[in-house]
Amino acid sequence: MSYYFCIVGTQDQPLFELEFGTSKQGGDGVARFSQEARHMNPFIVHSSLDFVDELQWTNNQMYLKRIDQFASSHISTFLTPTSTRFMLLHLPHLPNTAPTSQPMPNSFPPFTPYTSVPPSTSTASRGTSSSSSTSIPNNPTSPQTEEAIRQFFGEVFEVWLKAIMNPFASTEGKIGSPVFRQRVVAAGRKYL
Amino acid sequence: MTSSEPEIGSPGGLSDRPQPELALRPSRGLTSSDLPAITASNPSSFVRIRTSLSASESRLPFIAERPSITKSRSPSNLRSQSHGRSSVSSRGSPPSSPANDSNEAHREIIVRSFAPRVAVFASPDTEEFVRQKGFKDGLSSLLRPYGERLYGRVVVRDSVGGSRGWDDFGIRFVDCQTLQKDSAHRAGVDVGNQNAQNPVNGSERVSEHNRSSYSNETNMSIEMVLDHYLQSAGSASEDQAKGHIESGGASHEPRPGSSPMYPIYLRKLLSSPSVVPYETFSHPVACLIAVSSRHPAPIEALRQLYSNTGHGSNKIPAWMGTDYLRYYVLIHDEENDDITKSTALFDLMKRHFGLHCHLLRLRRSQCVLTDDDSIRVPSCEWLSAAEEIEKLRLRDYADIAELSEKYILESDSTAIKSLLREMVTQSIVPFMESRVTTWNDQVASRRRGIGGRFMTLSKRWTGFGTAKNTTPSLVGVSNPSGSNYDYQHGFYPPETPESTMRQLGDYAFMLRDWKLAFSTYDFLRTDFGHDKAWSYHAAANEMAAITSLLTPPAINPKSRSESLDQMLETAAYSYLTRCSMPFNVNRCLTIAIELLESRGPIAADEAARWGGKLLELGVLAPSAQALTTERIADCYMSRLPTHWAAAGTRRRQAALWNILASDSWTRLNRPYQARARLREASSLYSLDNQGLPFPSMQGLWQRLNLALRDTGGADYEVLIDTSVAQDELELNTTEEKEQLNVITRPSIPSITNAEGFITQDASCTHPASLDDLQLQDDGFE
Repeated sequence: MSYYFCIVGTQDQPLFELEFGTSKQGGDGVARFSQEARHMNPFIVHSSLDFVDELQWTNNQMYLKRIDQFASSHISTFLTPTSTRFMLLHLPHLPNTAPTSQPMPNSFPPFTPYTSVPPSTSTASRGTSSSSSTSIPNNPTSPQTEEAIRQFFGEVFEVWLKAIMNPFASTEGKIGSPVFRQRVVAAGRKYL
Repeated sequence: MTSSEPEIGSPGGLSDRPQPELALRPSRGLTSSDLPAITASNPSSFVRIRTSLSASESRLPFIAERPSITKSRSPSNLRSQSHGRSSVSSRGSPPSSPANDSNEAHREIIVRSFAPRVAVFASPDTEEFVRQKGFKDGLSSLLRPYGERLYGRVVVRDSVGGSRGWDDFGIRFVDCQTLQKDSAHRAGVDVGNQNAQNPVNGSERVSEHNRSSYSNETNMSIEMVLDHYLQSAGSASEDQAKGHIESGGASHEPRPGSSPMYPIYLRKLLSSPSVVPYETFSHPVACLIAVSSRHPAPIEALRQLYSNTGHGSNKIPAWMGTDYLRYYVLIHDEENDDITKSTALFDLMKRHFGLHCHLLRLRRSQCVLTDDDSIRVPSCEWLSAAEEIEKLRLRDYADIAELSEKYILESDSTAIKSLLREMVTQSIVPFMESRVTTWNDQVASRRRGIGGRFMTLSKRWTGFGTAKNTTPSLVGVSNPSGSNYDYQHGFYPPETPESTMRQLGDYAFMLRDWKLAFSTYDFLRTDFGHDKAWSYHAAANEMAAITSLLTPPAINPKSRSESLDQMLETAAYSYLTRCSMPFNVNRCLTIAIELLESRGPIAADEAARWGGKLLELGVLAPSAQALTTERIADCYMSRLPTHWAAAGTRRRQAALWNILASDSWTRLNRPYQARARLREASSLYSLDNQGLPFPSMQGLWQRLNLALRDTGGADYEVLIDTSVAQDELELNTTEEKEQLNVITRPSIPSITNAEGFITQDASCTHPASLDDLQLQDDGFE
């Protein structure tokens, strides 16, 4: 699984961006997005803010779970009390290998980094995939993954609180602290 | 209930009196035999009708409102009734509101595409006559354009007795040749598979190859048509752009509400059906048997043609029901023949064949533009993709005379129009209505009732052993005992209740009685599922979903949308995985998207979701893919923030899908469409004011912009230059802000390469910003 983590401010501006890979099942923690996917990720995360805005009025939890899906990548969200949003995009694939991209003529999106599941089974797999495998790197819809992401978000939230307690930082400013970055990477390594 | 003549308008000269044309008849016992002699007086069947009718009368009170169905009608009776119906018509086609114009248009296309089909069987002399008039493809090509949109309003009465007028009712004429060609094609495949078939897993293997090849062919031809139109649209826009430059105006192009290409695509998608067993829309509802006054023995000729339409002829495939309406037309040549002779002949015809006859008076000579009262033949709206390609190819290679518009005398045109109007309002629609009522009473309600359910259950559960014993050759076939499904050939024979009910649903659909159609399909889909008739199962699910979308929204939309999701899911899965028919998946989901979008903002979200699924299935050809992507963007754009509602908007989703559409068009090398979509996206991201929201978005944005600038279009420079400049400006202002905060933070370098994210990433790792030091001092390490 490859992850793209982004903290989005209230004006939809990104405050912090990070890519990392899974560390479970012998993963080396390196993100393996293709070039095209890397360019698409911010667009996808930005577009799913629409759903966050809608969900925040109906859900009183801070962790909104999996809110959106674009092809085979999924987006989970954590909403802080100040409406800063933690967005995590996760693309499932086997650890330490790039997502399989079969050059299918009719696949979507045309550049195929997101179609790691064969297209013909994607309707069928909705029901079955959750039971077939429960490992975090492979299955973004399993409860285990959901719990792992919750823990990850919880830890990031703590670190983030400490970072913005800095009297010179604003909640709407970019977070450039390398320590913060290290902490987030460590949380990713620990839970994801 | 005085009559039990089974065959409507069958030849054979039963008697001199006009035949009752809406006689009820049992659908099972008699349909297989078209010979009137056998069934003219069949007391047992008569008794059966009586009992079933009396039973249904007690169950369904509305039958009492239509006592005339069961009685024989005299011609005057029929006339007066049809007039009465016209006056009764409560209200017409739904008025289209200007706000949802394109949605309404798409909905209309969908509704109109499911029209009754009429097969044309013409005698050779008739074809010769029409060819002399300048219509090379025979009578069906002459009638076809007029049938697509009938002149005047057609009033249809639904199953609960309410009547409704439709202005856009139409019928499609198909030549008997094409019908035969299709069926022959399929029959050949069926026979071929029959030998090679393994009975163990041969439940749905029949002509699978044929299906997928058909799907591919259709997809290909639709793609070619789209290609042609895209080409012309692109060149037209370039001309337009040149005009702008010449006039020196920096005119802003109007915002494309939805692509003009999309209705074309939708129309082509829906007008390319194949004749298949699992849905009866492509089966003829009626057939038109034509003979000209030139023929030496017209009655004999009609008889001969009639026998071609029946079950005995090998031209009709075994899975197609043959109890459709026969309509007889005598074409009178105004220039060469005597009208008194023709009238006498026509009277004779009426006596022989009953009421479904018409005398069409045409002139033989070919008409040209310069003639006095010439009138242009309307063009066909519902050409299938293959035909359209044929036409376009002709336009490319043939000389000018070939493609000039066809003209016809005004008197001829009026005669044809009145023929079609009379045929539809007095024969086809009443025929279909009576069929629907009959089937509803005799087949559907019997199966819907408690007894019917019990019967199917008991059939399913009791005879486990018997089926295996009786058919030892089929041991191992997962054949639920008692099912009517023909596992070897993969269809239900036309006289089985399942097949009849499917036809009932389709007839109700074509008469636009969505409620009855929905209840029928809903009932059928479980039956087909039990029988493992997967293509039928998928088609019934598809139609159930479509009809449930066509009926007005229910009170609790939640449960409805769940069942709708399930139906669409099942249809898509069965079509694709079990039957490998990607074309049908495309059709099913595209219709669902359109109908959902016309239901308002909440459903538009659903529509977009299904659109995403359709794209993921990977069944679309490239142009279709781009068009569907555009359509999803349109769905989200229908939920843009308005001045009164800001919550629950989909601005960012719309922007994403516009980008994706632009990307798809760029890949297809269609810069005009790509530019329009990119412009849309830039306005959604409000690029003019604040630039792209994420700096890391620059990578894709720049790539698209550069690709579009390279492919030409001088007017495009403006957009790309401003966007970059704006972005730099924006970055500068943030820097200033940061400086005000007395925080020295590495500024993000303005990104010019395509590695937006990487650059950004690297810049973030710069150490030694003030707040970090601060944090360390605070014991934050």
